[in-house]
Amino acid sequence: MNLTVKIGKAEFANPVTVASGTFGCAQRYYNLDEIKGLGAITLKTVTLHARQGNPPPRIVETPSGMVNAIGIENPGADGFIEQKLPSLREIGVPLIISILGHTDKEFEILTEKFNALEGIHALELNLSCPNLGKKTLVAQDPKSTSRVVKLVKKASRLPVIAKLSPNVTDISVIARAAQDAGADAVSLVNTFAALVIDVKRKRPVLGNSSGGLSGPAIRPIAVYMVDRAAQAVSIPIIAMGGIMTAEDALQFILAGASMVAVGTANFINPRAPLEILAGIKKYMKENKLHDIQEIVGSVRA
Amino acid sequence: MAKIQHVCQVVSNEKFCPKFYRLCFAAEPIRRKVRPGQFVHIRAGEGLEPFLRRPFSVSRLPAGGHGAKKHVEILYEAVGPGTRILASKKKGDVLDVLGPLGTPFRMPPQGIKQVVMIAGGIGAAPFFMLSDALKGKGYNLILLYGGRSRGHVFNMREFKRQGCKVYTATDDGSVGVRGRVSVLFDKIKTAPAATFLYACGPRPMIASVQVFARRHNIGGQVSCEETMACGLGACLGCSVLTASGYKTVCCDGPVFDIDEVEIPLP
Repeated sequence: MNLTVKIGKAEFANPVTVASGTFGCAQRYYNLDEIKGLGAITLKTVTLHARQGNPPPRIVETPSGMVNAIGIENPGADGFIEQKLPSLREIGVPLIISILGHTDKEFEILTEKFNALEGIHALELNLSCPNLGKKTLVAQDPKSTSRVVKLVKKASRLPVIAKLSPNVTDISVIARAAQDAGADAVSLVNTFAALVIDVKRKRPVLGNSSGGLSGPAIRPIAVYMVDRAAQAVSIPIIAMGGIMTAEDALQFILAGASMVAVGTANFINPRAPLEILAGIKKYMKENKLHDIQEIVGSVRA
Repeated sequence: MAKIQHVCQVVSNEKFCPKFYRLCFAAEPIRRKVRPGQFVHIRAGEGLEPFLRRPFSVSRLPAGGHGAKKHVEILYEAVGPGTRILASKKKGDVLDVLGPLGTPFRMPPQGIKQVVMIAGGIGAAPFFMLSDALKGKGYNLILLYGGRSRGHVFNMREFKRQGCKVYTATDDGSVGVRGRVSVLFDKIKTAPAATFLYACGPRPMIASVQVFARRHNIGGQVSCEETMACGLGACLGCSVLTASGYKTVCCDGPVFDIDEVEIPLP
């Protein structure tokens, strides 16, 4: 059974990864032999300088999901490279580093920093965080998406993945812009901009006011967007959006995803990514599939 | 995959007082490792509602009896969708539990003679285990307990058996002194340098303990609460502001030194 996925020149043993920002402290709580079984780990977004993140409360539970406004709390690129990367590298699972620059120059510097390091398999560009108080996200504009992807591609020796926002009129336009600019893959969707109001206090619940909705609540919309994007691009799609089970993951694969990322499910069931991988294998066996590629996008076949 | 994820059978789930429940489940690996102040993260239902797990302080490791060496207890009030499902659990039902998680209380430093536990409502939970760890060590143990009303006041015999002096206040005066638990602070008489505080309860209570501790220069620790998702330090959702920036309640806490954490008040 062949589960391998290629993104640019990077190869992953299977199509299951974790979504950025949902999988920390791996060394402390997980059985590392089992984690090695994942296709890759996508890490929490790193910015050039450390960010302390948004004031609490940062999360609120919603029907079949949650809204978060963490605000990319991270130790900055140098802090990440010194404090976190060494032990992550030791796990022996491919690493996808998520980076976010506040300017083109920052994206360039970040790319160069990670170029110089061993044990990293791809860069994911976070073009779509809804919690930074920006009026427009890079991934809401095809021209900005194209510009950032181009400049990172020019500087990077690693495959480049553009992470897209669902808060757009037509996802296929943005996905196409990323592909045309040279992206090796697109990942979608980031969270949906969302607001929860405390009626008693007549104020937003979250410290940041608005946040991003994730979890199964968004899944059918995310599947739809992956389907739309798959019709517009030929580069691989990494899909995420409320994947809790193997069946959820298979919906995205059938819609056209080469890889799937388990996100919010990690918060409820830390075993979710491995259970999903096992479920995909079982499905392939039952359907006598030899290669996962046989079903990628096959909903339109 | 997670070393700390356990499927546990409910042993008992009973009313502890009119408003609180005490749930006992079998989890030998948790019992073996857990220290006072740590918590477990429980998936109350099997479906998507409620969506997130719920954190509970480990309250007590019951002694004696058949199989009790595996047992772990939590205390909770059935107030929301998660805890209401929990209240419906019967003996033999299965729970998905992560734990033990978080940092424990540290033991009082050298020279301490008087240990005061200050609890608001269900915040008393971790003090059953803490007072058990502190009994017989020569400390003058005191519990100051504040509850909303008679329904929130439980039988204090377990604390008294451990040599604890117990003082109670209720908001409506139905049991003990009328007022918040802070009206009991005058029971703390020993010299500040020989006193150590532990506090767990609602935010305004923790804030009042901080003010009191600062005014009298008394050391101690507080257990904090914040809406939590993963419980594993991954999502950074439960962060609280501390003297050294944001820290997670689930991993860096829930227990912090009294002057380390800044309590957000509404």
